[in-house]
Parts: sequence; structure tokens; C-alpha cells
Amino acid sequence: MIAYDILICGIGGQGAISLGTVLKLAAIHEGLDVVGAERRGGAQREGIVTSNVRYRKPESGETPDERRMAASGLIPTGAADMMISMEPLEALRHARYLNERSVVIINNFPLTPVSVRMGEREYPQLETVHSRLREFTPNVHLFPIDELSRGHFNSLRQVNTIALGIASALGGLPVSDESILAVVREQFSDFETNRRAFELGKETARK
Amino acid sequence: MNPLALNEPGRTILAMGNDAIVRGGLEAALGYFSTYPGTPASEIGEGYRSLKHEFPHIHAEFSVNEHVAAHGAQGASWAGIRSMVTMKHVGMNVAAEVLHFAGYTGVGAGFVVVIGSDPGATSSTSEQDDRWYSLHTHLPILEPSSIQEAKDHTSRAFELSEIYNLPVIVNAPSKLCHNIGSLRLGNLPNVFPVKGRFERNPERYINLFAGSVANHRRAMEAVKRLQGETPSLGLNRVLPGSGRTGFISSGINYLYLLEALSLLGIADAPILKIAMSYPLNPDEIASFTRHLDRVYVVEDLEGFIEFQAKRLLYDAGIRIPIIGKDVFPAHGELDVDLIAGRLSEELRTPLPKRMTRAIKLSNELTGDLPPRQGAFCTGCPHRATVYSIVKASDRNTVFAGDIGCYTLSCLPPFRAFDWVTCMNCGVGIAQGMLQKIEGENVIAYVGDSTFFHSGIPGLINAVQQNASLVLIILDNKWVAMTGHQPSPTTDIALDGTRMHPVDIKGLLKSIGVSYVRTIKPFNIKASMAAIKEAIRVGNGVRVIIAEEECALQYGRRVARTPVEYEVYYQIDEGRCQKCNECYVELGCPAIRKEETTGGWRYYIEEATCLRCGACHDLCLNSAILRTEILRTAGMESL
Ligand code: SF4
Ligand code: SF4
Repeated sequence: MIAYDILICGIGGQGAISLGTVLKLAAIHEGLDVVGAERRGGAQREGIVTSNVRYRKPESGETPDERRMAASGLIPTGAADMMISMEPLEALRHARYLNERSVVIINNFPLTPVSVRMGEREYPQLETVHSRLREFTPNVHLFPIDELSRGHFNSLRQVNTIALGIASALGGLPVSDESILAVVREQFSDFETNRRAFELGKETARK
Repeated sequence: MNPLALNEPGRTILAMGNDAIVRGGLEAALGYFSTYPGTPASEIGEGYRSLKHEFPHIHAEFSVNEHVAAHGAQGASWAGIRSMVTMKHVGMNVAAEVLHFAGYTGVGAGFVVVIGSDPGATSSTSEQDDRWYSLHTHLPILEPSSIQEAKDHTSRAFELSEIYNLPVIVNAPSKLCHNIGSLRLGNLPNVFPVKGRFERNPERYINLFAGSVANHRRAMEAVKRLQGETPSLGLNRVLPGSGRTGFISSGINYLYLLEALSLLGIADAPILKIAMSYPLNPDEIASFTRHLDRVYVVEDLEGFIEFQAKRLLYDAGIRIPIIGKDVFPAHGELDVDLIAGRLSEELRTPLPKRMTRAIKLSNELTGDLPPRQGAFCTGCPHRATVYSIVKASDRNTVFAGDIGCYTLSCLPPFRAFDWVTCMNCGVGIAQGMLQKIEGENVIAYVGDSTFFHSGIPGLINAVQQNASLVLIILDNKWVAMTGHQPSPTTDIALDGTRMHPVDIKGLLKSIGVSYVRTIKPFNIKASMAAIKEAIRVGNGVRVIIAEEECALQYGRRVARTPVEYEVYYQIDEGRCQKCNECYVELGCPAIRKEETTGGWRYYIEEATCLRCGACHDLCLNSAILRTEILRTAGMESL
């Protein structure tokens, strides 16, 4: 049986939900079952946003067993195969979903919460984010995704496609690049730019 | 093409739980839909609205409140048209009056009530368990477990409603409404009914005196019949297993339970999956339970199934432990972790290592992370209004809060709410309190949509009882909190169509409010002056309308028309005294702090700034500069 769970987290307005939607549509494209709830705690309002992406498929010839195939909307503790965090602090906050084999992809651009703005709390250093997550899994990768998008495309609009490219290059995603790109073509205007962003993500991850 | 409109039975699409409910209605040939938007169910209304070209025969509306919405759906059902009303769980309190009668009178065509519940209250002021209403409304409840069942049960509910002559409830918690995954489509009907016909039926519809008693009896008999026939409906089912400990579960908790049991390595336990949690059939419960030593009931919130099962088993003479809310909390949201954790203690079975390791590591970690809370969007007029309210009033002012995006004023940096409970709790509670407190200024908040939902009677009462308060109506023209549905004050739709907004000022005048002022929130100084003046006047009901369209909707609308001038706001480092007014007190997310070679500075992030001008107007040091650039042809390419 194929079972692969991805947790995407970020802040409202960063596109965590649409990133999840692309990964889910890619599954439909490929005939995989997919499910996963979203937390939209005030999308667009600095709230925490998460999207669960849970792929399931019986091996060919295997009879699907309801109990084994069961996938609720939420990934249990320690069960994420991959985490994509659009923001460093949120990666730490959702660390409980990681296990020794999880692959973690983090956009290294911090967004300051009100508590930090008001001087009540301190934002953790990026090195701390990295080292604390390494207690969970050795596969922790920070990338300057915002910077890459601004630098190459003069906008933040390509952040998600770059992240998809990175995820595809690093993880054992059960969906193919072709499926992801087919969805990107359907969903986004300006396919060519997004295809380049996807490739940029792949190259960045391979470096 | 909207995938929800595809007539390709068997095809799998990606759908949200709410979309699946929409499709369920389509497959059942729905003809009337009404709702008052409320998270988590709002997208159902959005769904029907987006399908108006493909299904022009469906009347779909955002009603003024849930009471009106439920009546509307009842009317259409009596006209022989299948109808659906949706609401969030607390909307049921508003619709409850209508729905207590709807069971008595019965239906014309199928009448389905969809309730989006919110265990954990992640987007609500309460997590009430609406299922308990059915013990006195007599309305059957379906609890889908998955996106697929959300569709299938919704279609089925119409059928059951007609067979048993009762409205049927579909209860979907937020984690199902907002679950997105595979959905296999069924058949769309070939013909949709366009017009219905009202068949008089005084025996049922004149629900008066002895007629109401007869209807009460009829409703209870209908439930009895449904209860008896439940096993033949194939809704509830048993997953046979080994061992003498069994489980009963419903809704999304069923999947949580399956996952929890596999994590604990007891994946073959016997399970009774309840799809219809009211009424329960006594034999189904008894025959499942008879050969077991103990049964755990895993369900949301307050143990509705556990309560009924215990009663039925008592009558059947079965006396084994039925364990529910003693182990799984009746408050908050359940999930796989919580269920697995509690069962691991109960059954003395260890959790998998992977899980205990993650719990241990994250407990050491997450305690000291800076919390993140909601904040107003960049460029939100409410931020400016609340800033002005806070600055224009003193800290002894009593702030009567209410429900809408402006509820965020209860959070830092403003902390300008003294209470928030249900819709229109602001003026309503304040006007009573004012009869018994003295010497305090009271400022009440209300949004446009909340005001029209149920705020007018409270305001009339305040005027008649001569309560002395300042009411700020934050009129942003949309039901913004739930995803921007039109409100009674919406004047221009996103596509530019002119609407028919209610004239708030005319309404206030006819109610007898003589003090009415309008402010433009981004003009901070003028707004503060107007609020101070209203406080100073100090007698009777004074209303200030803070009128400015929601920033997101404004942005969406205006993005379609090119602007003549580009406006920029920048902080002049030389003038900035770092007084913190803009960065902390106003707290606009576009204003940022950065280290520089000589220390640090505040700056405005151009890509995020929405050019509202609030910071420019409030800075006492004139440090925020406004630059206007005339756009000419050719500038586009710069
Ligand atoms: S309000 Fe004006 S002076 Fe104060 S921190 Fe902001 S820019 Fe600087
Ligand atoms: S930076 Fe100033 S002008 Fe820009 S959105 Fe924020 S408050 Fe409005």
C-alpha cells in the first residue's frame, strides 16, 4: 500500500492552502486517493494555516482494506513523511508531526508575530530552528524561497511553485513532476514562468 | 468548467467536504437553497452561488439570518421543491424556533438542514453540540465520516425526509467541511423542477391548539417508524472483529478511531459505525453489544450517542460498561492522537515509538515559541477604526464587543473588548447594564451584517429605554469574516453590478436615533475627533457609522480598473522618533523593523502596503511621507 503524508504550514496569505491543493490535484491526475483537512485560522489575517495532504493507494492486486487504508483529515503525531513550512517559526511549531525519516523543507523568511512586534517574545534564530528540528530528523533543509522568487521573478508569486520543485527533488513524493506540472498548467495563469520556478526549485534542492 | 457540475458519474474529482454537500444537493435535484454564512459551512453557499449558470433553476440566497433562511427553505419545501438550509452550529439557536415547528408540520418535498459544527471552537465563540436539539425537535441526524459520505448522505437525506415526512439534519464538523480530497461523482438528475405548487394542508400547516398536539404525536410516530426501519436503510454498519472490547463511533471520529486502533496494533476490534445518530435503533445497539465485555463510544463533544445507547441498553437488560465521555473529553476537538493516547492508557497498550518520541521532543520545544494570533489584514479599515476608538476613549470605557472581523479588537495590541458571546451581544447586554451602572462611558461595536442579522431589536430597545451609549457600526459592506458574502449594505458587487443596499441612516432615523455621524476610518484624526465628540455629548444612543469597504474586497474590485495615480508611503528615517505608534499601537503588518548599520529603523514594505494612509495620518511627527505619481502610458513597462 502507498501511504504518504505531507504537512504544509504557514501564515494566512502565504499560499499554504493552494500549495496543498496542487499536490492533491496531482493525485487525482494520477488516480491516487487523497484526503486532508485544512486549518485556515483566519486566512489572510496572520493566523496559522495548515494543509494536510494524505495519499493512499492499494498496491495492484491488493484488496483495499478499510481499516488499513483509513485516512482521516489530520496527520497523527510523528507521522508526516514530509513537511513544507512557508515560515521558519511555523516549522518549529509543527515539529510534533515529524519522525526520524521525515523530510523538512523550510522557507527561511521570518514573519514576525504580534507578540514579537510588541516586544513580549523573541523570534528564534534561524540556526536554532535548524538545530532543534534536527533533533527530530536529520533531513532538515532551509531555503531562501522568498528571496529566490523575488530575485528571479521580481515577485513573491512564484514561492509556491519553487517549493513544489524543491519537494519533488528531495522527497519520495508519490506524484510525478508531469502530474504536478499538468495541474500547474490548469490552475495558474502564466505557465511558462511557473514551469521555470519549478525547475529553479529542483536545481536549488540538488545543489 | 466547475467540476461540481460535471455529469460524469463515477469520475473522481477533488472536493472540499462543503463542496461534496453541494454536489449531494445537486444529485438530489435541489431547487431552493438558503443560508446565513458561518464558518465552517460558508462555502456551501459559495458553491451554489458559483453554480448559478449551470443550474439556473436553483434559487440560492444569503439570507439576513438563520431564522429567515430556515423559514425560506420550509416555504420552498411546502411548495413541493427540495430545499436545503445551511448554517453554523450556533445558527441553530437562531433557526431553532422554525425547526421546532418544522418537525411537527412535516415537509412538502425533501427538506435538509446542514449544520457545520465546530468542536474546538476554532472559528466560533462556542462549541455547542447541536445534536441534542433533536431530542425535542425530533429531526433525524446523519453524521458523514468522509468527503464521499458528505455527498452521499446529503442526497440520501432528501429521500429520508420525504419518506418519513420530517426535515433531516446533516451534521458536519469543521474538519469535514474543510477536508479536501477525492470525491466520486454520482448521477445528476435529467430533469430539475423549476416551479412548485403549494398544496394546502390545514391539518398539518395550521399548527394550532389541538392540531399542534396531533402534529406533535405525528412527529414522534414518524421518528418511531424511522427508528424501527433503521437496520433496513443500510446506513449504520458493523465492522466485525475479534476480542471482547468493542467500539461505537460516528462522523469523522470513526476514521480517527480506525487510525488510532491501527497505531495501537489492535486493528481488528469490532466496531459499530453509526451514520444516523438520531434516532438509534435498539436492536442494532443491543446485538452489537451483547457478546462484548465493554464498549467505548468515540464521538464529538457531549456524548449524544453514549447517552442514547445507555438508555436503550438499559431497556434491553444489557449491563456492560459503556465508556464515552469519562475517557474522551466532552469539550474541545478529538483527533487520532487524543484517542490513541486515551485508549493506550485504558487498554494498557503502548503507543508506537515514533509517536512517543515526537511527543517527548515537541513537549520540550513548543512551550516557549512566540504565539501567533489573528490580526487585521493589511489595509483593513477596522484596524484604523479600532485604533481611533482606543485613542479617543479612556481606559475606564466599557467596550461592548460583538461578532465579526472586528472581534479581533479583543486581541493585542488593542484589547478593546470587554465581552463577546453571541450575535448582537454588544448593544443587547450594554443597554441592560446601563440601567444599573453610572459614570462609565459605553462604546458598543457592531458590523453591518451582524447588525442586520438581529441587532435592530436591541437597538430599538436601547433607544426606548434611553440607554446612554455610543454605537459604532463598522460598515465594511461585506460579510467579510466568513469569506465575503454580500451583506445588506453591499452596494457594488465584485463584477461591478450595482446592488440595492439598505439605507442605514434612514433606518436609524426611523428607529429614533437622532445622533448619527459618519467617519472615514483612514482619516484617523477626524475619526478620533468624531468619537470624542460623541462620547462628550453623553446622552442617549449616539451612532457613528465607520464606512469603508473591506480592504480585500476593495482590492479585488479595483484591481480590475487601472488607476491614474500611484500612491506610495514611506517612513523618513530622519523624522521618525521611534515612538511606536504605527508599528506597535496600530500594528499594520506592512510596517516593519530592520537592523541597519547605525542601529535599526522602521520601514514600510512596499509590496505589502495597501496605501490606506492610516499610518500617514496618525504619525504625530509627520515622518510618514505620501508620494503621488501620475501614471502615464509607458509607465506600465517600467
Ligand atoms: S508613528 Fe511616526 S514617529 Fe512614530 S514610529 Fe511610526 S513613523 Fe516613527
Ligand atoms: S503601511 Fe500605512 S498606508 Fe500602508 S497599509 Fe499599512 S497603515 Fe496603510
